[in-house]
Amino acid sequence: MSILNESIRKQVRDLFDQQLKQPVGVLFFNTKNDCETCSDTQQLLEEVISLSDKLFLDVHDLEDEAELAQKFHIDKVPGIIFVGKDGDQLIDYGIRMLGIPSGHEFSTLIHDLILVSGRDSELEQKTRDELKKLTKPVHLQVFVTPT
Amino acid sequence: MLAHMMAMESPLVEAESVEAMEFPDLADRFNVSGVPQTTINDGAGTVVGAAPEDYLLNEIQRALG
Repeated sequence: MSILNESIRKQVRDLFDQQLKQPVGVLFFNTKNDCETCSDTQQLLEEVISLSDKLFLDVHDLEDEAELAQKFHIDKVPGIIFVGKDGDQLIDYGIRMLGIPSGHEFSTLIHDLILVSGRDSELEQKTRDELKKLTKPVHLQVFVTPT
Repeated sequence: MLAHMMAMESPLVEAESVEAMEFPDLADRFNVSGVPQTTINDGAGTVVGAAPEDYLLNEIQRALG
């Protein structure tokens, strides 16, 4: 049974048709160990990815592919990373989601895909200028809930 | 999400959304009581609530010292 109903699928498909520009990859880290939301998250991602041929999904295992997980700074599941693609090379923009993207976070998922496909932050010029002056790494963790 | 937009803009910024109920230990560690709450560099800075661009930016700059 699908998670997304036909009406949502149509809305998202239309939005993707209008707004997705360049291809976007979703790397999903799953586990064979205990994870309450991992299988739902994977199914949800599969359903969303199927709504546009500009999107692709790569499923990985946190333990079996520990080196890859480390490369993408993932130590928890379900872990989602949005990437661009240049030839065979994946481009990591540092955009991640930890936990199932349901409820309010479903719209974050959709908007993240559109954001990455545009390869542009859409920030105000002033903010862009200030961010260019950064010299040290910044790690932001935004705590959210589905409701 | 603003944090994700900043990550898109700067190669030095990495931003993750964390579903607080799925990761209660992490949420407890940063005393998350409401959402959204943004933690900067492991607690060097915190923004409670949805903040405009300049506010989050100021907090990042302050956290970096």
